[in-house]
Amino acid sequence: MRQLLVDLFSFQDRPPFERIGFLIFILIVLAFPWMVTSAYGKAVMIKFLLFALFGLGWNLIGGYGGQVDLGQAKNVGFGAYATALMMLWWKVPFWFTIIPGMIFAAAESFAVAYPMFRLRGHYFAIATLCVALVWKELFVFWDWTGGARGIEIPIRPTPDFAYMQFGSPIYYHYFIFILFITQLLFMNWFRKSKLGYQLQAVRDNEDAAASLGINVSRTKVIAYTITGGLGAVGGSFMTVYYLYIDPDFVMPLDLSILIAMTVMVGGAGSIWGPIIGAALLIPLDMYLGAWLGAQKRLGIDFMIYAMIMMVIAAREPKGIWGIIERLSRKG
Amino acid sequence: MGYAAHFMFNNGIEPEMELAIQLIIYGILMGLIFALIALGLSLIFGVMNIVNFAHGEFLMVGMYIAYVFSSSLHLDPIISLPFAATAGYLLGIMSYHFLIHQILRGPMVAQLFGTFGLMLFLRYLAMYIFTPDVRSISKGILVGKILSLGWVTIDLSKVVSAGLCLLSFAIVYWIIYRTKLGRALRATSIDGEAAQYMGIDTKKMNALAWGIGGATVALAGALLAHFYYVTPTVGMLFTLIAFAIVALGGFGSIAGAFLAAIIIGLIMVLSGHYVSELKFTFIYIVYFLLVVLRPRGLFGW
Amino acid sequence: MRSKKLVFFLFVSILSLLIVSPTLFAQVKEVKIGVILPLSGPLAPIGKSLKEGAELAAEIVNIKHPELDISIAKWGGIPNLGVAKLKLVFADSRGDPGWGAEQAKRLIEDEKVVGLLGAYQSAVTKTASVEAERAGIPFINPDSTSPDLSKRGFKWFWRVTPHETWFTADLFELLEGLVKGKAPGVKAIPKSELEPLAVAVENTEWGAASLREIEKFASERGWKIVEAFKYPHKAADLTSETRKLIASKAPTFLFAPYVADAILFVKTLKEMKASPRLIWGQDAGFIEADFYKTLGADVNGILTRDLFSPELAKVKPIAGQLNAMYKKTTGYDFSGSSARDFVGVQVWAHVLNDAKSTSPEAIQKALGELNLPAKELIMPWKGVKFGSPFPGDTQQNELGSGVINQYQGYPDGKLHIIYPFESATSKMIYPFPGWK
Repeated sequence: MRQLLVDLFSFQDRPPFERIGFLIFILIVLAFPWMVTSAYGKAVMIKFLLFALFGLGWNLIGGYGGQVDLGQAKNVGFGAYATALMMLWWKVPFWFTIIPGMIFAAAESFAVAYPMFRLRGHYFAIATLCVALVWKELFVFWDWTGGARGIEIPIRPTPDFAYMQFGSPIYYHYFIFILFITQLLFMNWFRKSKLGYQLQAVRDNEDAAASLGINVSRTKVIAYTITGGLGAVGGSFMTVYYLYIDPDFVMPLDLSILIAMTVMVGGAGSIWGPIIGAALLIPLDMYLGAWLGAQKRLGIDFMIYAMIMMVIAAREPKGIWGIIERLSRKG
Repeated sequence: MGYAAHFMFNNGIEPEMELAIQLIIYGILMGLIFALIALGLSLIFGVMNIVNFAHGEFLMVGMYIAYVFSSSLHLDPIISLPFAATAGYLLGIMSYHFLIHQILRGPMVAQLFGTFGLMLFLRYLAMYIFTPDVRSISKGILVGKILSLGWVTIDLSKVVSAGLCLLSFAIVYWIIYRTKLGRALRATSIDGEAAQYMGIDTKKMNALAWGIGGATVALAGALLAHFYYVTPTVGMLFTLIAFAIVALGGFGSIAGAFLAAIIIGLIMVLSGHYVSELKFTFIYIVYFLLVVLRPRGLFGW
Repeated sequence: MRSKKLVFFLFVSILSLLIVSPTLFAQVKEVKIGVILPLSGPLAPIGKSLKEGAELAAEIVNIKHPELDISIAKWGGIPNLGVAKLKLVFADSRGDPGWGAEQAKRLIEDEKVVGLLGAYQSAVTKTASVEAERAGIPFINPDSTSPDLSKRGFKWFWRVTPHETWFTADLFELLEGLVKGKAPGVKAIPKSELEPLAVAVENTEWGAASLREIEKFASERGWKIVEAFKYPHKAADLTSETRKLIASKAPTFLFAPYVADAILFVKTLKEMKASPRLIWGQDAGFIEADFYKTLGADVNGILTRDLFSPELAKVKPIAGQLNAMYKKTTGYDFSGSSARDFVGVQVWAHVLNDAKSTSPEAIQKALGELNLPAKELIMPWKGVKFGSPFPGDTQQNELGSGVINQYQGYPDGKLHIIYPFESATSKMIYPFPGWK
């Protein structure tokens, strides 16, 4: 038990500068709502934490597993709809809706994982994309999930801790922070766990891993299943944050790609990657979009975005974290 | 009511049969056009194992060239075809030299996102230049003409496009399987290193693959513009269809891509008729099932 | 070792800078209204025309135009607020409900707008208005037509535009009017000539809502529907769908697509030599400039559910004058959508003036008491007054109405009003003339 807690919270295996940096980061995030008066700034921070959350989950299969999954949005959608439907139909309080969402996402991921992992590389990526698209179109097609009309959660007097509805962004901030830190600690435990090492071995060289006795297929499937479950959590958050969901909003292809992209830019396969990626892309997107968006000539903000992506892809595939590690190694 | 009374087709054939034949013809025509679109993707993957997310954007470039010929230069858009193909070729080569060349060394994640960045860049560049307005070509030899063969009516532009696609496909096929250059390309795709040892300039082959890939899909775009609308976001849908086709036919197999394209065209038209809302869903499901049961696709490696 | 620390400190500071946002404070010299519209993304052309409609209204409010015979043209600002200028702060919703909500937050708390206007797409309006409801800031919706929006019982949301239920009622009034011989220039035709109906809608919230309403009215009023389906919008090819419509042998086609698909449908119908007797399009795609500019003469005879027509100038001079001003700036006429955003800003101006204050409660009260007469409006409505016109509606304009227009004589022709029959500006072309 003690060992479990140690593994969860310990970052001893990372160099001191990383640990200190992380601590400072946490302190800034905790103090943030009190430091910043702009509502938009608080909204940016919340979205950043949400995407860092998404990224952490994706990083498991995409970073540590090295399998590019372009369909994570389906898991987000499962979580969002589980929460929305349970609240709407049976008035289930929020915290009881997270688990069913995670279970469904994990179960579905498990079911499609075995056939999908017979594919490799690009075939696999496109298969994940197809699965996610099929689910999205089904959710639009079905009337019982609201179809294209989506689901609206009735507004309640705030603050409401049962249904997680609040008038002030401060509550949402700490709420998403709790979800974020929980997943971060889980990932911290995971990367040092037996499964984590096995997964990374598979990523680095499947044949070598197999020769060491690792069941490659089973490892990948479990990793994909866990990622599925983790993705659902962010979806549940979205339902109570926006109070409205529809398939184009919570499970579109663009979301899958954005999630994978933030991790990749930040540095897939490292514990900090998702955080860095989200920290760069989310504020960049939201501020460029707000400042340039309403101008006459559209598109400049996305072009800048795109250029950053191409440069990262060409110069440092390990993402920004890779750049930092390279620089610090020189010092 | 139904199909019982067929005033329109007074020729003795069952209306359901007519409908089926009409749908099948459409499906094959669309399939032939899709085949040319997917050809470039298949080629690029075959030669250097990279999936080009920006493929649909190259198509869009071809579409805009045809549109510009029609609206600004007041020329028949059919004249734009060779220009579109050339532009596509140059765009492909430039993409290779400035971007792809660099990301080939990296992990697959980087490759996917390098081309994804290219896709976003081209899309929003088009949006910046042309604005998001929907454009359409209204004048031209191939525009809006209908061909009637008995009781079958087809849009002439679709028939000619399908024909030109078939022709282009055949030409590329001939280049790859019947010329020395093609042999060099094939050697590179089978084993790049070995090909290098044999004296084949891999870099040149890669660039060529991108060039041909870009040219063919831009040409398809210029043809598509004759009967489809032109807008900066039109690329993604065709990218997805192309992906499904290439994966179904087998990455790297040109013959496979051809066959798969026809199949996808038929699925789209037929499911479009019976359950329109899910017509793309069926494509994705079919792809998934087939690819899981036969991961290499029809002919791939 | 030292440079390692340097790198790390640099990194942490950059990271913090990226996360920490600049504080935005707004100086309230003018009265600010936040306007959320799809200025990028696939609906950007519509968003652009909506923005232009809103901007024209703000200009009329802020600068005196004695030649125009409406109240706001005489003000030069908001009189009861010390002639403060009305300032519109635009935000791009990107067509995404989450983004729209975040922009709403920004407008409310950082830009300190006194209220919001928007957001065209019903999904975006849903989330953005939730933010307004939470913050207790008035949200006026001039252009979203999903019936859901006015049935939520919100206290800070008012809708100016009529919604889908109205428009579908108009459609059936038209069909029945044709049967009874009330349509201008058309003798009574047997119902069997128009029945059965075939419906094709896109599978978005709006399309699905349209279909629901049509099916409801059809069953209530005894019209048969032989074919009704949703298709994936942004479709690569609508050949199968068009063939399905033709194969159904229905003489009446009803559509609810956005621009690109609307154009594709008409083109495909033409190439298949379809010969329906009546084609009707549910606003949106069928009324945008791209549609008629692209298709030229092929639009003639098509009916559209709409809210405005430049031909209104014949009965409402103010509509003609303002349309001319709009056209001078933009190069095209008001559409039903852009005209409604004009009215939205106009409503804001009146309400601010009535409230004599920028406090939310005062504005809320003023909206509740608003009774804007028809002569102030470019729309052919009876006025603007909020109430409960249909079961479940709250704070919904009771006095709005739609029109049904018909394209005649394009590419140089006019969009004539056919319904309401009393306001018709031309004879109706019936049956649909087909394409050359």
